[in-house]
Amino acid sequence: MRRRKVLGLLAAAPAIAASAQTGDWNKVVEAAKKEGKLLIYTASIGSVFHKKVINAFEAKYGIKVDLLEARASEVRERVRVEQAAGRFLGDLHHNGSTTTGLMQRDGNFQPRGEVPNTRNIEAPYEADAFKIPAEVISYCLMVNKNLVKPADEPKSWKDILDPKWAGKILSDDYRALGGGAVFFVVMQNAFGREFHEKLAAQKPSFSRDLQNSERRTARGEYPIYLPFNLQDLNNLKGLPIKAIVPAEGRPYVRFDISMLKNAPHPNAACLFMNHYLEPEQQLVFANAGYNPVIKGVIEKTIDEIRPLLATKAMGTTDPARQDEMLALAKEIYK
Amino acid sequence: MLVLAFLTVYPMAMLLYGSLHSTPPGMAGEYNFDGYASLATAENLQALINTAALSLVKTVLSLALAILLAWIVARTDTPGRGVLEILITLPFFIPPILTATAWAMLGNAQVGTINLAWRWLTGTDGTLVDVYSYGGIVWHMMQYSTPFIFLFVVDAFRAMDPSLEESSRMSGATRWQTFWRITFGLMLPVTTSAFILSFIRGMESFESAVFFGTPVGIKVLTTQIFDMITQRAQPDYQGATAMGFATMALMFLLLVLQSRLLRGRSFTTVTGKAYAPSVTRLGGLRWVTFSICVLFFALAVALPVGQLILSSFFQFFGFYQLDMLTFEHYRSVWENREFWTAFGNTLLLGFLGATATMILGGIVAYITTRTAWHGRRLIDILAWLPWMMPGMVLGIGFLWGFATLPHEIPIYGTLWALLLAYVALGTPVAVRVTSGAYAQIARDIEECSRVHGANWWQTMGRILVALAWPAFAVGWVLIFFGIMRELSASILLYVPDTTVLSVVMLKLWNSGKPETVSVIGLVMLAMVLLFRWVQLRFIKRRISTL
Repeated sequence: MRRRKVLGLLAAAPAIAASAQTGDWNKVVEAAKKEGKLLIYTASIGSVFHKKVINAFEAKYGIKVDLLEARASEVRERVRVEQAAGRFLGDLHHNGSTTTGLMQRDGNFQPRGEVPNTRNIEAPYEADAFKIPAEVISYCLMVNKNLVKPADEPKSWKDILDPKWAGKILSDDYRALGGGAVFFVVMQNAFGREFHEKLAAQKPSFSRDLQNSERRTARGEYPIYLPFNLQDLNNLKGLPIKAIVPAEGRPYVRFDISMLKNAPHPNAACLFMNHYLEPEQQLVFANAGYNPVIKGVIEKTIDEIRPLLATKAMGTTDPARQDEMLALAKEIYK
Repeated sequence: MLVLAFLTVYPMAMLLYGSLHSTPPGMAGEYNFDGYASLATAENLQALINTAALSLVKTVLSLALAILLAWIVARTDTPGRGVLEILITLPFFIPPILTATAWAMLGNAQVGTINLAWRWLTGTDGTLVDVYSYGGIVWHMMQYSTPFIFLFVVDAFRAMDPSLEESSRMSGATRWQTFWRITFGLMLPVTTSAFILSFIRGMESFESAVFFGTPVGIKVLTTQIFDMITQRAQPDYQGATAMGFATMALMFLLLVLQSRLLRGRSFTTVTGKAYAPSVTRLGGLRWVTFSICVLFFALAVALPVGQLILSSFFQFFGFYQLDMLTFEHYRSVWENREFWTAFGNTLLLGFLGATATMILGGIVAYITTRTAWHGRRLIDILAWLPWMMPGMVLGIGFLWGFATLPHEIPIYGTLWALLLAYVALGTPVAVRVTSGAYAQIARDIEECSRVHGANWWQTMGRILVALAWPAFAVGWVLIFFGIMRELSASILLYVPDTTVLSVVMLKLWNSGKPETVSVIGLVMLAMVLLFRWVQLRFIKRRISTL
């Protein structure tokens, strides 16, 4: 019975997707409500802000949303093997732009149809036929206020190369996928190899346990931690730390939402994408420390976050050059 | 055998395909040996040397310590040994990430509590301990392997007929000679099993190395595998699975060695003759043995668990200010619906999984130790397979295996997928625990039962299972809590309705809530205390009726 239902849905999927592309948004909303549920695969593990946005969607449209959370590569492999085995379970995929780009190349997505709110997206972020930008993780420096006097706070990314910080920098690993790799690429593009050779001479200590690294810095093990995810600032309120966006700007990485191939609930998926780009929902992310992807949100963000978000977007990774950059990082940081 | 083959050979076959194919199952590619060829690098060789050395050192130290503790608890009149037996096993049941966090706060070189205390006491700027080192990795691994081996050997000590030791002493052997030649000698099947299980687990250990080794550039095989799977733009499944099989081949050599060591020797200590487990009267020395147990408890349990308890009442882990006191973490766990769903699923899977695994393990152990069936060696090897493959690689094998089953077989996306993976992962422990216990039971008791008219089932239930009951209970608890902690397969097989505790803990950890994870860790500890108390009462009642 269930199999017949799934097969029925599969057969109907292209037609439903087509209805989403007609531009008649009300029809999409009604069809989404009839579908009644949605399964999202996400690499954003344990995000309370993600759940807030989902709760708002469930309350507004009466569509139940299930989340399957795992690390980026695990989500990717689950989608790949499920689709290869003819199991089309998930509707939406939420992941970093690098993994999303590779999955798009591998044919794991279907065209998303029309999403009216995409017109509000602001540069440098953009949507394409398969995906929409969702939110942006911005990276900066974190210092322990007990160990770094205001006069000594780094103002430029190059200030961390000062010999006084030798052996005193804790960092996410540049040789592995993640914030460290984003930082590496952006600094490489901005300042060249020389910057990294000097930073390597500072002997930064690497750890991939981001949240714990932030706590270690707050406890005074290290005066500086980088790259610091701005969205973790709220979690650390009350600790002696400070987030600093250097003058050159903040490296960033975009999260995207795309519709999985043969999604069982394509209209609900389309509706959710639109909901995600509503100003109220983007404000949830902005107040949490993520950069929003639509216009007119930063201005409404809470006071302690706004100045940090309203800084220059310095750059991001290039999926096509990711492995080359990881190899270069391994060569420099032995 | 079919069940065992499905649980072990099937996922392994998927992984073997992955190691010999340029792309994972379901993608166009070609067969080649590139995965294996890519392993031959200086970096991997260094990782292999690190892994083997770390595992060997920690296993030898843990084995010596565990045997000493087991002897103290089971065979001496050391005061409070009943309570000590429960307390010294506690570290095994705490999620490693929590003890790692606790030790990182206690033993970091810069502001670790131990070093701050040392500087205050000595007035120097020196560093007494640094957990970010080889020593730190070994120490953290030992906190899991010592109780693990202890649990394995303590009941074997208890089940030993003391008349053999008395005969040795009567024949003029010293206390040490008796311990080495008789006590330790008779324990060889159990100790070698525990050694090998622990050594292999050490080779596959991930948390200790990634937490304390990565920051100082210490690489091991599992961190290399993790790197191949999760840290590259294009995951290298071929390389990761090839490394898994290479590790497995090395582990297999160990098994052959153990088999050679035990071949042709008898280790029977439980016979038809009446005996009463006795204790050695230590006199004044019992306070020395008491102090050894208390010291282990203080270092391996009180320090890290104390940190966890303390931290669970403060807003932030490691910031103990009065204005940060809170019950918020307990409230957030209590009100977390996902936690309760996961808790229910995990308990169900734990009970069913541990029970099914012990039944399967008991049958496999019976076939391999009590029958002359030709295929018994093959069955024994099949049961070992899941233990020899690093967990994060095996998890992928289960994902590939279950997802590609025909859709008519409703395993993928259900609790069955998790249950079957847990049974497969637990079977090696179940087999080792029960076969070690069976090896101590004389065949003449079974023959006696049959001669007196009992059928095979009655003999199994009333003789073999009844006498091996303590080992069954230990195996059940080990597997139950192994299921509660298992993450590598769970994260790849769960769906929203079948979420489990380890996945919820990962989510909380990743969202920057280590204090909430501590609360869950403490809930698990409370369960361990309850289970162990019930188990020990049960075992003692059973033994007193034997």
